[in-house]
Amino acid sequence: MYAIHYMSPSTSTDTQNDDRFENLRQELRRGSLPLAVLAALRTEHYGYTLRKTLADHGMAIDEGTLYPLLRRLETQGLLVSQWREEDKRNKRFYRLSPDGKLILKQLLIEWKSIHESLEDIF
Amino acid sequence: MALVDRYLHAVKFWLPRNQKDDIIAELSEDIRSQIEDQEAAIGHKLTDAEVEPILKRCGSPMAVAGRYLPQQSLIGPALFPIYSVIIRSLVLYFLLPWMLVWLGVTIFSPDFRADHPGAALFASLKPWWLACTYSLFFNTLIFAVLDRSQARLHLVNDWNPSALPAVRDRDVISRGSTIFQLTVVVATLATWIQLDAFRSVFHIFGTTLTLSSRWPVFFWALVVVSLAGIGLSCLTLSNPRWTRFTASFRLGIDCYSFALFYWLFRSNMLQSLSASGLSFADAANFVRSFNQWTASSAIWVLIIGALVAFFDVRRILRVGPTA
Repeated sequence: MYAIHYMSPSTSTDTQNDDRFENLRQELRRGSLPLAVLAALRTEHYGYTLRKTLADHGMAIDEGTLYPLLRRLETQGLLVSQWREEDKRNKRFYRLSPDGKLILKQLLIEWKSIHESLEDIF
Repeated sequence: MALVDRYLHAVKFWLPRNQKDDIIAELSEDIRSQIEDQEAAIGHKLTDAEVEPILKRCGSPMAVAGRYLPQQSLIGPALFPIYSVIIRSLVLYFLLPWMLVWLGVTIFSPDFRADHPGAALFASLKPWWLACTYSLFFNTLIFAVLDRSQARLHLVNDWNPSALPAVRDRDVISRGSTIFQLTVVVATLATWIQLDAFRSVFHIFGTTLTLSSRWPVFFWALVVVSLAGIGLSCLTLSNPRWTRFTASFRLGIDCYSFALFYWLFRSNMLQSLSASGLSFADAANFVRSFNQWTASSAIWVLIIGALVAFFDVRRILRVGPTA
């Protein structure tokens, strides 16, 4: 079944559907990224390990999206960062600020409520 | 690593001055970590060709830098729809007709081409270019300023549902306007008939005007079109909506009327003029000037007629065959 689907020639409608799905998928994931980042930063990480942690949990995020997001969250006072040397290289380590912890708790409640609502609708 | 340095340098160029070094240090660390991981996996140093896909995946330098910048727009989404409507109206109802008129005059008027030979023909478009530039520039400027102050002035959010305009049905013909048109046509027709306007010779305030032999033909043709107009008004009074039939009828009347006036304007309408105290030579000069003026104005009748016909056709297409 998979082989048949794979070998069938793709039409312009298929491509359109793929594009639409991809746009909506990205939009959906974009909205969840701050929550994923805040949750992952309950443990201290620098950018690259944070990306790997998120990717390991199925939330792959490219550097061009992650670093501006970290900067924004830090500007909002939800994260604190510190440059430190590790393995002979300077790295910027991030962790949740006290405000960040509070907001994360509230966001998780909201997330669960959205999840339950969607489950209800489905 | 020269390729990575070149990439980081290119990203750095677009970044805000006070964050350049910080952002580049962090990005550099990430890219170098990716390269190290890959080198550890394959067991040798990456070549430039192998580094290239990593950088391509990061995104173009300008796009990467852009993500660190605040989102900015000259005119935001709150005011953009109004801006867009104004610019479209400006182009559709002002700049485009102006250009069409210029094209029409250029193509159909030999006098205009003779007055503007060679490059002067394009120089005659200068007012149009100025109108384009100024109208677009000032509209954009005004909206950009409004956009920056709209939060303070509550331009968009301060609104009242009951102050919204009523929904207008474009296919409804107001009875008031139909009665007005009917009155004007009937009054004009009655006056013309009372003045015996189908003659060719008129005596007005001691002046004798002799019109072209085509004048009576024009006059009777105008009577026919006026009667058709009266018929259309009566139809729209009984059913005050545009239908495909009435809209086509309107198009026919308009085309016929403008063609009639075009024909009259090009027919040396005034044959002779005589008045006490006016020499024969002066009268002949006046007649020639008047006929030249009407002949050169005929193009405007054609252009205005084409515009009116365009809107009539649009109306027919809008009402559709089922109406």
